Amino acid sequence: MSAIRAIKPSGGEQMLLKTLDSLGACGASAAALVRESGLPNRRVEEWRWSDLRSAVDSDTPIVSLHDHAHEPAPAVTPSDAPIIRELAEALSLDDSEGLDTGGLHERDGQANRVVAVKSGHTVLIERINAARGLSAGSLNAMVRGGKLTRVLIQDGSSDSIVLNRADVVVGPGGAYEQFVLSFGGKLARLETNVSLWGGGQLTLNAAYLVSGGRHCDLTSIVTAEGPGRNAEVQGANCNQVIKGVARAGGRGVFQGKILVQRAAQKTDARQHHQALLLEDGAEIFAKPELQIYADDVQCAHGNAIGALDDDALFYIRSRGVAEIEARAMLIEAFLTEAIPESLSDELCTEIVDRMNAWLAEKSA
Amino acid sequence: MMLDIRDLHAAIPGREILKGLTLSIPAGQVHAIMGPNGAGKSTLSQVLAGRADYEITGEALMDGESLLPLTPEERASKGLFMSFQYPLELPGVPAMTFVRTALNSQKRARGEAELSPGEFLKKAREAAKRLAMSDDMLRRALNVGFSGGEKKRMEMLQMAMFEPRLAILDETDSGLDIDALRVVSESINALRSPQRAMLLITHYERLLEYVKPDQVHVLVDGRIVDSGGPDLAQKLEAEGYDRYQKAAA
Repeated sequence: MSAIRAIKPSGGEQMLLKTLDSLGACGASAAALVRESGLPNRRVEEWRWSDLRSAVDSDTPIVSLHDHAHEPAPAVTPSDAPIIRELAEALSLDDSEGLDTGGLHERDGQANRVVAVKSGHTVLIERINAARGLSAGSLNAMVRGGKLTRVLIQDGSSDSIVLNRADVVVGPGGAYEQFVLSFGGKLARLETNVSLWGGGQLTLNAAYLVSGGRHCDLTSIVTAEGPGRNAEVQGANCNQVIKGVARAGGRGVFQGKILVQRAAQKTDARQHHQALLLEDGAEIFAKPELQIYADDVQCAHGNAIGALDDDALFYIRSRGVAEIEARAMLIEAFLTEAIPESLSDELCTEIVDRMNAWLAEKSA
Repeated sequence: MMLDIRDLHAAIPGREILKGLTLSIPAGQVHAIMGPNGAGKSTLSQVLAGRADYEITGEALMDGESLLPLTPEERASKGLFMSFQYPLELPGVPAMTFVRTALNSQKRARGEAELSPGEFLKKAREAAKRLAMSDDMLRRALNVGFSGGEKKRMEMLQMAMFEPRLAILDETDSGLDIDALRVVSESINALRSPQRAMLLITHYERLLEYVKPDQVHVLVDGRIVDSGGPDLAQKLEAEGYDRYQKAAA
């Protein structure tokens, strides 16, 4: 990590550093990290398809929600925290009040949210409708028991650079369910990092729809840790269904890593990523990754990228449905398979309506 | 003529499948096309329904208007229905949603009033009952997890709902057991009317015992090589297609 940077900061990095420095102590850690390593770019393996450094220009507004500091930034050594977390903590405010009380919480915009769930069912709906500029947010969740459902709906300007990272610990007897609906941005990188302990239940589903000039990157790392120190519970469950569609000029990225530690016997992990290239010039990059150190586990993963099925299209059209509607019908059916069944009807309707609006807008 | 096919040729790259097919069906009649594997039976139904994969010459008229320039959906709205030999499965699309969307699309295209959800449901339930189909099948994703026979019933349900003027049934009898064949045949017979024409495409004579055709045509090597009354089907069943195939070769 302490490698000396070979190249000087880009224009965008300089602007970002100026903002971070102006935040005093708040921005110090992020600034130190950017100074040392720069923004991640295509030479960094985990960011090879999402070049953040090139996306941030010298005229990219940095969406900072903190006040400017009166004191200059103290000098700190860079931490090994992920860049999105550092930026989120520097640029966004804490918005956790009341989240620990259970029930339904709807929040708008980027923020740093912390939630702990011990029992019952907590539902957190986050809507990020970002304007032009770079914003960052985070979620820190601890699910010791009960269930946390997080729905993240990310949309907004095609000039927005949206960085968001969730770090989730799912303990024995806990369940975490996440559904992300992303329409991308100039660059949207939505990371989910889960530490899954024996007996924990995990659902990480997502649907992404990217049109021309938009980029969506869904990156997740799930670590099945094992039964834990004081517990006997084995056999965590992990289910991922990711569906994507891209039109000409749209780029979708899915990186999904599942790491099963030696102690995590009886883990059952399933990961499926399917994407449709709707037009020539659409791009999807996928890197499913399984690393398994335990021997008594079930892990399955599938990754398929293709076009709409001509036979199905012909069948629907032969029944009188116009081609545009037939395509929309197939795409909607394809995408909605990723929506977890437990979501409320109201939320499902909002999600499906947003999908349909995208389909209608782009085929007009 | 409800359907008037004249010197129809259809080819995929490197191979001609229909080689000058001529056939007419007046309104009110049911015709059957029988023929060996590879004769071009399914190609004929696909071409009439509007599949775009073929190089086509010749003419196919419905009510005197050429079908060939029309899209599949325009043909459907004009009253053409093709029952697929292998109906597609559509995961995530509930059967009833699909049929209602299709029916209302056709009605909109014809300038007719759409059915309200209540009217639609009533009609669909009645049709399903006649086909001995459960409500559960209507709620499930279209054809997903259906047996071969259930898929064919779902095709017949759609035919009953759409009330087409020209129905082409491509091997609707294949994959049916005796009971299912009887139910499906009854639903076909129920739709026989002076305003409607039907074309049954089949391998076997079995279906034609239940649905008596007005005429039977023999399709071999892309052409109609013989036509006759219902007796012709029995004769084919007894003698096979050998003599036609030898003549064609």
